[in-house]
Amino acid sequence: MNRKIVFVSVLILCAFSYGKIDLVTLPDREKVQLTIYNSADLTLVRESRTLTMKKGDNKLQFSWANTLIDPTSLDLYPLKDADKISVTDLYFSPRITGLGTWNILSKISGKVPCEVNYFTSGISWQAYYIATLSQDEKTMKLEGYVKVKNRSGEDYENAQVRLIVGKIHLLDEIANLARRYPPYGRPQEPLPPREILGEGKFMLAQASDRMIEKRIEKEGLSEYFLYTIEGTETIPDGWTKRLLSFSQDKIPVINLYKYDESRFGKDTVRFIHFKNSKSHLLGKEPLPDGLIKVFKIADKNQRLSYIGQDRTKYIPVDQEVELNLGAAKDIKIEPKKTAYKTLNYVFDKSGNIAGWDEEQEWTVKVSNYRHIPARVEITRNFPHQYWSIENRGDYGNYKQIDIKNVRYVIEIPPATTKQFTYKVTLKWGERQN
Amino acid sequence: MKIWLIFAAITIIFLSGDASARTKFVALPEREETVIKLDNPYFTLVEEERVLTLQKGTNQVDFSWTGVSVDPDSIRIKILDHPEEVKLISVSYPPGENALVWQIYSPQAYEEKIRISYLLKNIDRLITYRLVADKDETKVNFQSHLILRNFSGEDFSMAKILLDYGEVFEKSVAHEETKQMLLLSKDNIPIEKKLTFDARILPWDPEKVMGNVGIPVIYEIKNDRKSALGEFGLWYGKARVFQDDGRGSTIFLGEDNAGYTPPGEKFALYVGDSRDIVVTQRKIKDIKINVRRNNGGGIVLYDTDEIIRVEIENFKDSTANLTLIQEIPGEWDMEEASHGYEKEDANILKFNIKLAPKSKETVTFHYHRRNVR
Repeated sequence: MNRKIVFVSVLILCAFSYGKIDLVTLPDREKVQLTIYNSADLTLVRESRTLTMKKGDNKLQFSWANTLIDPTSLDLYPLKDADKISVTDLYFSPRITGLGTWNILSKISGKVPCEVNYFTSGISWQAYYIATLSQDEKTMKLEGYVKVKNRSGEDYENAQVRLIVGKIHLLDEIANLARRYPPYGRPQEPLPPREILGEGKFMLAQASDRMIEKRIEKEGLSEYFLYTIEGTETIPDGWTKRLLSFSQDKIPVINLYKYDESRFGKDTVRFIHFKNSKSHLLGKEPLPDGLIKVFKIADKNQRLSYIGQDRTKYIPVDQEVELNLGAAKDIKIEPKKTAYKTLNYVFDKSGNIAGWDEEQEWTVKVSNYRHIPARVEITRNFPHQYWSIENRGDYGNYKQIDIKNVRYVIEIPPATTKQFTYKVTLKWGERQN
Repeated sequence: MKIWLIFAAITIIFLSGDASARTKFVALPEREETVIKLDNPYFTLVEEERVLTLQKGTNQVDFSWTGVSVDPDSIRIKILDHPEEVKLISVSYPPGENALVWQIYSPQAYEEKIRISYLLKNIDRLITYRLVADKDETKVNFQSHLILRNFSGEDFSMAKILLDYGEVFEKSVAHEETKQMLLLSKDNIPIEKKLTFDARILPWDPEKVMGNVGIPVIYEIKNDRKSALGEFGLWYGKARVFQDDGRGSTIFLGEDNAGYTPPGEKFALYVGDSRDIVVTQRKIKDIKINVRRNNGGGIVLYDTDEIIRVEIENFKDSTANLTLIQEIPGEWDMEEASHGYEKEDANILKFNIKLAPKSKETVTFHYHRRNVR
C-alpha cells in the first residue's frame, strides 16, 4: 500500500503553541471520488471522512508529502451542522512541506461527516477506439475504450471514477503547483515557469489489460461530458486500467475519397464517413478525442487486415465524422487541363496590357478500381474571386464553397470510371473591374 | 521578534557619528495592537501601537530591525494620548544601522500610547475566488479567500489582518507561514454564461483545423447590489469555477484570473471552451464596384461588394447564447443582414444569437466597403 495522504485531527490546548497539541483521531477515507480530466493533467479528488470534533478550537492536519496534490486547491467543509462548524483558516506552517492545518471552531462535539476536496496531477485518462469494417465496407463495428493511468504517488482504493471530456481553461499546471514550495509562492515573486510533465519522469505503468465489462453512465454538464464508471475502482499508483466504454456493431459507413490540392496535394485521401447519431446506431454521447485504429474483416474466416489509424477530434452528438486513413491507391482522381486560351484583352492609354480573360478547360477522370461503391469529393481551387464556370458531363452535385473554392460530390459504383469537364474563365487585371 | 523598539530617556541630546557611542537605556515596550493592512497589493503596511513611559523633557526612542526589510522612509509615528503636548522633535538615522531615532519632547511624565507605521517587505496577500455554479448555470455560490504570505522575517502574534473590505481577522502569523482565510461568502449570485466566436481570432473553417475549434465560454457576474455585491471593488485574483452535478458532487469547470472589478462592473471569467457549437465562416462574395479612375485610367477609388456567411451548429440539447464578433475595416455600409447586430465601435459588429437546442442557424451579412484606395 502506498498511502501518502495522512489526515490527523488534533485538539489544541493552547491557541498559538505548536508544541502543545494532542492527537485525537486519525480518520480514514470513507469514500473517495476521482473526477479525471483529459484535456489537462488534473483530477478533482473528493474524500469523505468522519472527524471527531471537540467543542471549541480544533486543528486538522492534512499531509501529502510525495504526492502531486495542489495545496492551493484544498477545501474542507462539513456535510452537516454547517452552521455550528466554521473553518476559520488553513495555514501552511513555516519550513514544513506537504502539510496544511485547518483551524476549525466547533459549537458541538462528536462525529461530523466532512468532505475534503483537492486537485492532484498525475492521474489521466484517454479515449481510444478500435473500428472494424465489415467485409463489404458498408458497416463498421466501433469499440470505445477509456484508459485511466495513476501516476499521482497515491493509491486510490475503491474510488468512484468519473471522467470528464472537455476543454478547460487553466492558468497553472497542477503539477507545478504541487511542486511549489511555499504553496502560494513567496511575496512578489513570479510563478515558476510552466513545465510539461514529461512521460519519462514517471515509471512505466504496468498495464492491467484485463477486461472489465462495467456500465459507464454518461451525462452532459455545462460544456463538458461526464462519464461515471459503475461501482468503484482501485487504482494503485503506477497502474493503468482499461475499461470498455461502448461497443456498437453495424454502424453504416460511407467510403469517402477526397481530392483537394490545397489540402492534400495530388493525393486522393481516403476517409470513413459516419455520423455520431441515432440513425448510425450511435448518438448517445459525444465521442472524446482519441486514437482510432481501423481494421477490416478481410475474408470469410473473419481474418483481419489493418487499414490505418487516425486521431479523431471530439465529436458532439449528431456531428459527422470523417476518419482520415491516408492516401488511397485504388480510387484515382485525375484532373487534366485540356485547353487554354486568353482573350478580351484591354489596354491602357499607353498601349500596355491592362487586363484579359483566361479560359481553362479541365477534364476530371474519376476511377473506382474497388469492388465497393465510393463517394468522391473533389474540391477545385481558384487563384481569386473573379471567375465564372460551366460544368459538363457526369459532375454529380456541384457547390460553391466560398469565393475561391468549388466542390463536386460524385457517387461512383464499383469498378467504374466517370468523367466530367468544366470550363473556368478567370478575369485578370482591369477585366476584374 | 526582529523589530525592536528601544526606548531611552535622556536629558542631554548627543548624537555622535559613532553609533556605538549612543546612549541606550533599554526598555522594551510590548506591542499592544498590531494591524497588517493589505489594501495595497504591492506594499504591506504594518501599524503597531505601544505605550512609552515618557520622562519630562526630551526622550530618545530607537526603532531598529534586523533580519527584516523595513522601508526606512515609510516609518511614521503618531502620538495618540496627548498629541497637543507631546511633540516629535527630530528623526535621525544612525549610520550603518537598520535603525531610526526619534526625539520626543514631553512636558511631563506620561504613559503615552503611540502608533508606529511602516512598510514591511516580503509580506503580502493574494485574493482567490471559488465559485460553485448550480446545475443550470444561472447562479453561483461565491467565496473569496485572503491568503497572507508572511516571509518578512517577523512573527506576528494576534495581529489584525485586513483588506479594504471583508472581514478583519485577528490571527497569529509566523515567519514563513502562509494563511488562507475566508473573506467573503455569498449564495445565489446570478451569473450569465456567454459563448463568443471572435472571427478576428478563431479559425473560420473548422474542417481545416487539427483538433476542435473551441468557442470560449465566459461566466459573468455583475458586481452590483442586485447580485448581493457591489459595495466595493473586487480585487484581482485567481478564480476557480466548479459546478454542482446535481448528485451531491461537483465538477471543476475551469479557472481564470479575475481582473479588478469596481462596483457596477462585470467580473468576467473565461472558464473553458465549448466544442458542441461549431461555427463555419466563409466569404462568398468579394468584388470591386464603383471603380473610379484618374485621367490616366488608373484606379484611384473603389467600393467592394462582400458577403459573409456564418453557419452555426448547436449540437447541445440545450439553448446557447452565442456572440459573433465580426470586423469590417474602414468605411462601410450594411446592405442586408440576416440578424440584428450592435456596433461595438465603428468597425466591430456584435451579433447576439440565441441558438435553440440541436439547431442550425445561418448568419449572412452583405456589405459594401466604401472609398477603398
